[in-house]
Amino acid sequence: MTKINKKHLPLYFSSAVIILLIVVFSLIESRFLNAANMANLLSDAAPLLIMAAGMTPVLLLGSIDLSVGSVCSVANVFALTILLSFQGTHWTLGTAVLVSFGLTALAAIAAGAIMGLVHVKLKIPSFIATLAFMSIWSSVALLISSAPIAIPRQLWGMVAWYDISVGPFSLPLFIALLFIVIYYVILTRTVFGRGIYAIGGNERCARIAGVPVDRVKVSVFAINAFCAALASIFLVAKAKSAAPTVGDGFTLMVIAAVVLGGTSLVGGVGNVINTIFGVFIVALISNGMNIIGVDVFWQRIVFGVILLVAVAINTDRTSRSIAVK
Amino acid sequence: MKNQLLFSAKNITKSFHGAQALKGVDLDVNEGEVIGLIGENGAGKSTFLKIIIGVQPQTSGEMTMYGKPFAPSNPLEANAKGVGMVYQEQSLITTLSVGQNIFFGREKEFRKYGFVNWNKMYAEAKCVLNAIGIDNINPKKKVIDLNFATRQMIEIAKVVALTKQTGNNEKCLILLDEPTSVLNEEEVQRLFVEIRNITKQGHSVIFVSHRLDEVLEISDRVYVYKDGENAGNMAAEEATEKKMYELMVGRTTTTEYYHLDRQIVPSEEVILEAKDLGLWGCFQHCDFKLHRGEILGICGVVGSGKEEICSVICGDERATSGALFVKGKFTRYQSPAEALKDGVLMIPKERIYEGVIRGLSVEDNIAMSNAKHLKKRGLVSRKSVAAQANEWIKKLRIKTPGKDALVINLSGGNQQKVVFARALLSGADIIILNHPTRGVDVGAKEEIYGFIRDVVSEGKAVILLGDTLEECSSLSNRVLVMRDGLITGEFGAAVGEKPSQVELVRMMV
Repeated sequence: MTKINKKHLPLYFSSAVIILLIVVFSLIESRFLNAANMANLLSDAAPLLIMAAGMTPVLLLGSIDLSVGSVCSVANVFALTILLSFQGTHWTLGTAVLVSFGLTALAAIAAGAIMGLVHVKLKIPSFIATLAFMSIWSSVALLISSAPIAIPRQLWGMVAWYDISVGPFSLPLFIALLFIVIYYVILTRTVFGRGIYAIGGNERCARIAGVPVDRVKVSVFAINAFCAALASIFLVAKAKSAAPTVGDGFTLMVIAAVVLGGTSLVGGVGNVINTIFGVFIVALISNGMNIIGVDVFWQRIVFGVILLVAVAINTDRTSRSIAVK
Repeated sequence: MKNQLLFSAKNITKSFHGAQALKGVDLDVNEGEVIGLIGENGAGKSTFLKIIIGVQPQTSGEMTMYGKPFAPSNPLEANAKGVGMVYQEQSLITTLSVGQNIFFGREKEFRKYGFVNWNKMYAEAKCVLNAIGIDNINPKKKVIDLNFATRQMIEIAKVVALTKQTGNNEKCLILLDEPTSVLNEEEVQRLFVEIRNITKQGHSVIFVSHRLDEVLEISDRVYVYKDGENAGNMAAEEATEKKMYELMVGRTTTTEYYHLDRQIVPSEEVILEAKDLGLWGCFQHCDFKLHRGEILGICGVVGSGKEEICSVICGDERATSGALFVKGKFTRYQSPAEALKDGVLMIPKERIYEGVIRGLSVEDNIAMSNAKHLKKRGLVSRKSVAAQANEWIKKLRIKTPGKDALVINLSGGNQQKVVFARALLSGADIIILNHPTRGVDVGAKEEIYGFIRDVVSEGKAVILLGDTLEECSSLSNRVLVMRDGLITGEFGAAVGEKPSQVELVRMMV
């Protein structure tokens, strides 16, 4: 019983970091720990949670998706543009919300699937394929709307659901956590999920053993894009506006969060529950820096360093045979 | 000149974890001589070459070079003493020039003011090329622009350049491990001309090949190894292909080992049929039928197309011509997953790269191909996965610390049993076994042969690529022989009517 289970090491590590961060930030700035800020932190974490949940299986496959931020940006302006096009029609607010968000989700799934297909069928490494789509989607976002769009005050009712909360748990946070739990079950207890771990462990072997590798990969990318869209809807509701560059900073934070959660970059190792911890590390640092007044430009430097540190901690450097590419 | 003894090995043995790969072999090489070294897979040829070049030490026995003890602890040391090896896989960097390749890793020797003095390097490369008699190649040429025979010569030049560093009058010994496997007829002839050029300078060559006619043609003397022992050596003039075959494969079949008593007569039902099947550049015009309860062996040398046939049947590659019928249905699989739906599955050759997922547990590996059958209320039941693993660990006597142990911690034979458990559970009834006993010790081998017998007795069918000819013909009901992408022969292999290995080899080469 005294032996530490190696499997849980990332969990212990991230818990320790979270506690450390809370202590440090509250020592620097007493406002950090007050209820309002904590509630704020928790609900702000929702978009990041959803996107990190989507990214986890991508890394489990041994792939990467650099386009999530741009997909989020596109979905953000796309959703609101459609929503606002209902203005002045006889449709009710509810229908407008459902139609616009539904369309956004479907479009994102299609976009993710197309990217997955490009990756598996044309055999373009995911790094390159998603880098290309990152460029494409960030331009598309700007083409849809080159400037931020605000929701007129009379339509704020459309996104009122965002502020529903029970104690410190807001509806978006609840949705994100529920999604993660469902995804966890899918990843560990379905043929599809087992396939993801098998592909990440040894793609060639999984293929020969009859795992439908291409289908699994495409699905994972499609789900990841869906997550980015869902996150973008949260962002619309939170800001009551949309911006074509809103997702830009997310890609890096999402990958950092997943890696901090102990998911291996080479694939096959990790799980989506641990990602929650990684997300809160990132969310705490982000919120803490805002509270103590760190310059926005400096914040991006910090996040860059965090990503490097996260990967350095996570990488297994014992095997000399694996080349770093 | 040919009488001066260059290299000598006496009573070399080598054991790996109790298995004896070499049981005391001798070899003498005189200056200017080409020694042919032949033997079946696993006879110990490669092990012996690796000992000479210093990749691994012998367990016992001594080697001498010009009478002085020779015990290199690594290839560089061997090179310094005049021994070089050209490996089976080509090791040139195709995007660099010939000269750069010859002196690869030694650029420092050509440094001038901190930069590489290319003129000097190319001038020396030219000297090296001249020394082995190929003066028609510009050392500035990119390797990618050369044909395979020339590339092989560059490899030899590289080895000669390395081994000549001592600078004295001593000659080199060059080891060629199956240098002709990638060459066509014409290229082989060109290579032979070059080998003769080298030996004219007094250097010696040990030439390993599966093609006996080539060995006869180029060698001055031939050594035959069998099961890690020296089965004979003779001057090339005395050797005939027939004589060499018999020395190579001359052991009597051990009946029990292959469970011949359990060989069954297959049913008439055709379960898989290939009609004029072909894969561009690999094999063509292949027609054969596979029946329920049958083990169909396919033998042929590397490059004969047998591996590719397996890839096509299991859905890993798509045929470019002809048709494949599985259970009477025309098929053209896009992926192994699709093939598995029709009950076709392959146990691949490279266990580590294709067979097991080493980072996953034994139970997860076993359940990989049949997870969908372990669902309870829509979710894969952990209990069923565990129960299945425990059952099969017992059934196949897999030695593992437990079902949760990572496969990487198991021995090769036990990893292979995990692959078997997975394949047998997959529900496939056409199982392709691509070297199922590769790298497996003798005990596990026999058990695996038993599993194969079990499989067909359940009415499944097996296509087998054996690790040795003996394995292939002993296990099979029927044997196909392939050469250069064509089926060149078919032998019935009922008990008591097994084709002789001499017959098989004759069709293979």
